Formats: sequence, C-alpha cells, structure tokens
Amino acid sequence: MSQQGSRTTADPSVDGDGVNRASERDSTERAAIDVDGLELTYSDGTTAVQGVDLTVPRGEFFGFLGPNGAGKTTTIKVFATLLSPTSGDVQVNGFDARSETRKIRETIGYMAQETSIDPELTAEENIRFACEAYGVPSGERAERVSELLSLVDLADVADKQAEEFSGGMKKRLDAATALAHRPPLVFLDEPTTGLDPKARNRLWEYFLRINDLGTTIFLTTQYLEEADQLCDRLAVILDGNIVADGSPDDLKREVGGEVLAIELERGDGVRERATTIAREFDAFADATVSETEDGISVTSEVARQYGTDLLVALRDAGLTVTGFNIRAPTLDDVFLAITGDEIDTAEMPDGDRGASQ
Amino acid sequence: MSTPDADGSAEEYAGATGGEEVTRSGNSFAGDVWVNFKRWNVKAVRNPFVLVVSLAQPIIFLVLFTQVFGNVAGGAVEGATGGDISYETYLVPAIAIQVALAAAVTSGIGLVNDIENGMFEKVLVTPMNRTAVFLGKTAAEVFRIAIQIGIILGLGVLLGAEIATGLPGVIGIMGIGVLFSLWFVAFSNSLAILTRDQESTIIGANLLQFPLLFLSSAFLPLATLPGWIQTFARLNPVTYGVDATRSLMLDENVMTVIEVSWFDGTLNGVVPGVAVLAGIGLSFGAIAVYLLSRASSSDVK
Repeated sequence: MSQQGSRTTADPSVDGDGVNRASERDSTERAAIDVDGLELTYSDGTTAVQGVDLTVPRGEFFGFLGPNGAGKTTTIKVFATLLSPTSGDVQVNGFDARSETRKIRETIGYMAQETSIDPELTAEENIRFACEAYGVPSGERAERVSELLSLVDLADVADKQAEEFSGGMKKRLDAATALAHRPPLVFLDEPTTGLDPKARNRLWEYFLRINDLGTTIFLTTQYLEEADQLCDRLAVILDGNIVADGSPDDLKREVGGEVLAIELERGDGVRERATTIAREFDAFADATVSETEDGISVTSEVARQYGTDLLVALRDAGLTVTGFNIRAPTLDDVFLAITGDEIDTAEMPDGDRGASQ
Repeated sequence: MSTPDADGSAEEYAGATGGEEVTRSGNSFAGDVWVNFKRWNVKAVRNPFVLVVSLAQPIIFLVLFTQVFGNVAGGAVEGATGGDISYETYLVPAIAIQVALAAAVTSGIGLVNDIENGMFEKVLVTPMNRTAVFLGKTAAEVFRIAIQIGIILGLGVLLGAEIATGLPGVIGIMGIGVLFSLWFVAFSNSLAILTRDQESTIIGANLLQFPLLFLSSAFLPLATLPGWIQTFARLNPVTYGVDATRSLMLDENVMTVIEVSWFDGTLNGVVPGVAVLAGIGLSFGAIAVYLLSRASSSDVK
C-alpha cells in the first residue's frame, strides 16, 4: 500500500474516471502533448529528466507535480522549445520538438516560473507587444488588449509602467501576455508561487475559464491544493522519472484508507518513540507512519477501526496525546507516500530553478 | 484553423475548438523587426539612464573641453593641421564618436536587463525570427545614435564649429558614427552575455570608454602626443572613426594613421576609416552573433 513508486511510468490503462483515454490513443496527433522516452542531459553532464512518457489530450487541465529539482521546469522548457531533448520523441500540438520548433512556438503560450514582463513598458504595452510578437492581426489588437486587461483586472492601471506593480499584478500581467494570441496550449510554470490567496484565486478562476473555452493547460505547482482544485489529471515526477499518474481522486484513493493524525505533547524524542510504537502496532503492519510537525500520522485501511487502540498504547507508553483526527487522504498524503517527503512550499519557492540553470 | 465564422466567443477562442489543425500565429520577418524596433525605441525614451549617460556626458565634454582647453589646444591644433581651425570644429567630430561609443554601451545593458527580467526568454518562446529580434533592437539603437549625433552637431555649430561639407557632411558623419558604433554595440552585447550582470557590463564597457577616447586622435592631434599613445592610437578604432568624421567636418584628408591616395582630398581620409571600421564591426559582430546564438539555444547535450 502506498508504494506508488512501483508505477514507474504513466500507464494510461490505470486511469480510472473522467477521461476517456482509449479514444485519445487512437489519434496521438490530436494530443496536445505526446512524449515518448524523453531524456534531457545538460552539457555539464547532469541528467535532469530520464525516460518520461506522457500524453496530454487536448482540452485537459494537466498538473505536473514533483519536489524541487525533480525536473519539472526542465520538462516544461523542452515542451516550450527552450531546451532541445537529448533523446526521445516529443510532439507538441502535433509538431516535433526538434525539427518544428517554430511551429510549436506559434501554437503555445508559456508563462515562466520567474515573472517575465518588461518593467519599462506599461501594462497595455506589454500585452500589445505580445500581440504583435505573435502576429495577432492589427485590426483585432485593440480589442484583444482591452479584453485581456480586464480579464486580469489591470484595466485601471493599463497606462502605468509595470515596474510600479506589486508581485501579484506582475504575475497577472505575465499571464495575460502568455495568452495574448489565444494559444490552444498553455504552459504555466508555478504561476501562483508567491501570490496572496486573493490573487491566486483570481488567477485560478481565469485558468479554469480559458480551460472551459478549450485551452489545454499544462501546469506545474508546488501547491497541492491548487493541483487538486484545478487539474483533471496529475503526474508526479521524481528524480527525472514519472512515478504516478491519474486524477487527483485516483491518486488519493491509491494512498489507501484514511489518515489518522495524532498530536502529542512536545518533548525530547516523543515523536520518535510514538513512531516506533505505531510501527510495531500489529494492526498497522501495512500502514505508512510518519512524523508530522506536532505528532505523527498513520495512513491505513484500518485507521478508523484501530485508531483508539493506538491512542491507548501511546498513553500506556507515557506519551500525552493532545489531539487526534481521522480524515480522508489529501494530495499531501499522496505526495508523501510517493516521494517519502513532504512537499516544501514555504522555504524554497524558487528551488526548482537550480536544475534549469 | 479554428472556425473563423463561428459567432460565439467561446467558439472563436483558441485553436482548441476541435479542429484537426491547431491555430498558428506569427509574423513576417519585417514585422518581427518592426515590433522589436518599436519596443526598444519606447524603452529608450522611458529610460532616463540611457539618455543621460549617452548624451549628457558627451555634451559636458563638448562644452568643458572647448571652454577650458580651447585656448591652449587651439595652438596645437593649428600647428598640426596647418589651418586656422577652431578647437570647436576640431573637437565636434570626436564628440560625435564619443556619443556613438556611449550609446553603444547601453545596447549591452538593454540585453542584460532583458535577460534579468525574463524578457529574453519570453522572446525566445515567441515565433519571432531571432535574427529579426536582434536586428530590430540594433536598428533602434543606431537610430538613436544617429539622432544624438545630429544633436551634438547642432550644438557644436551653436558653439562656433563649422561643418565645411554642409548637409551631406552631416549625414556622412551620422553614417560613420553609426558604422563606428557597431563594433562597440557588438562588444557590449558580448560582455552582457558573458557576464549576465548589469553592473559588470556597465563597468566593463565604461572603463574602456575613456582610455579609448583619450588614447586616440580625438582631443589633440596625434603628433603632439607621446609615442606610446601614438602606437596605441594606431590600433584604436576611435582614431579611425574620429579621423574619418573629422575629414568630413574639415573637408580635407586628416586621416593620421593610414596614408592612401586613391581619391582626391577628403575621401582619402574618409574611405580608409570606413573600411577599417566595417572590418572591425564585422569581426566583433561575428563574435556577438556566435555568443547570442549560443545563449539562445539550449545548454544541453
């Protein structure tokens, strides 16, 4: 249970609900992204991605998750033609990522992890530049610019230079410029990192809206809640390999059972002792036990059934339980089970860049 | 293509409406050049640093040098050129070249800023032709250099300088200034790619600016300067730029480092300078193009 690392590649047949995978495989040209055996090795010898297989059908809201340095940004840069694959076959919108880079560029939008706008230009000029760079017909530009400005809620500051904007405003402007030509496929590399919840929600709404209009979205994020809310399907990349793939609900189901979170009174070695007790507990032989910030968590099919027994055992061992609850697994638990590590959003928001430089 | 005749906005949106072909959007080569030309012109006007550094400094030089050194230097200039040329007239071509030099520094700074604020990568992801992108940027910069040289010439005339060849000479001086700027534009862009750091680029390019200007025929006739400076000046592109523009200014051959007699008079001073500058520009340009294409393609195996 919970050893999803054994699923080394994204196997389409495992996918459960929602998306009809069989018909997609009938016509891979109709897939927005079709990758077979992608490998990427930087010129210094670092292998960032190895053997990634992936198919993203058109119209899907796809989430690409993984810890810092797992290869998320590298993969997205291959799709956006910024990096050329070392080996493997990569088709984006039906075009080859080696020989048809310009055609790919004409059909995608890309929002880099670092906010990319020209601070000396106004909000309007930034969007206009994007329209012109992508050849939006001159007759449509004015309308497109004002539409995008109001979409990302920057119409009031359209004539202000972007250097005066807050981080959230810059991100929104960046998003607008990535969408200026209405690309059928958009890459969003951690689009909401560093935004306050309000700004994040506003961008979410917007992404969902363009997805409803038919745009395929390929999103990487460190916020599992974001992936859970937005994505039709997720893949988790670890050390350059895809180790899990499925809808958020599938992945949660595969964690198995429920999560028993126990809070303990603080003290030296308390969590270590509690972990040992839980691991030696007969009923939880198959369970995943891990330390949390203020106690331990046990994920098991029988968490509800034997949870109280464990609490008693802990008390008998002289540990003070200050609280507990039983809940359904979240994507955090999925992530924990797969990577053996909790996703770290607060400390290293830009950590993934290391692999791409 | 997405159905262009569909009337609901949802149907019109993107190429994702179920057509077999995805919608592609891009420009012509000329369109790409124009888009970038416009962007860099707007940025130049917005950025006070660009204008101050590349215009104010040469203006200060022009005014201070003519006022402070004018009387002293005038004698040396007369001795060397043999005519009654005012120091203003002698100096203005050098200041025109200084403007080209100072403005060229900002080209690399612009590139570094683009790399730092993500625009460089953003532009690489667009379908714009990469040659067109840099052509547009460079065109905006030399356009600005031509205008700034025009301003310096106008100011020089106000201060008492005489342009013996008149309007054609003015256009010629602008042309030589632009040609001269190319090697330093290429140099500052190379520096920008290699350092990827704004301060380093500014320092690197600015540090060079003054030795280049002073160790040349810019401010005083070479004959009056120490031997080691004369040797350096022969290898210094500034000398070729200054002597060529000065020949146009005075309407006589004042090229000091190459002697040719292919033409009559003035052109003997202009043509060799132009030829040398074109050669230097091409060499430095080739290096910059190589570095740029290496930077814009990925660093992968």
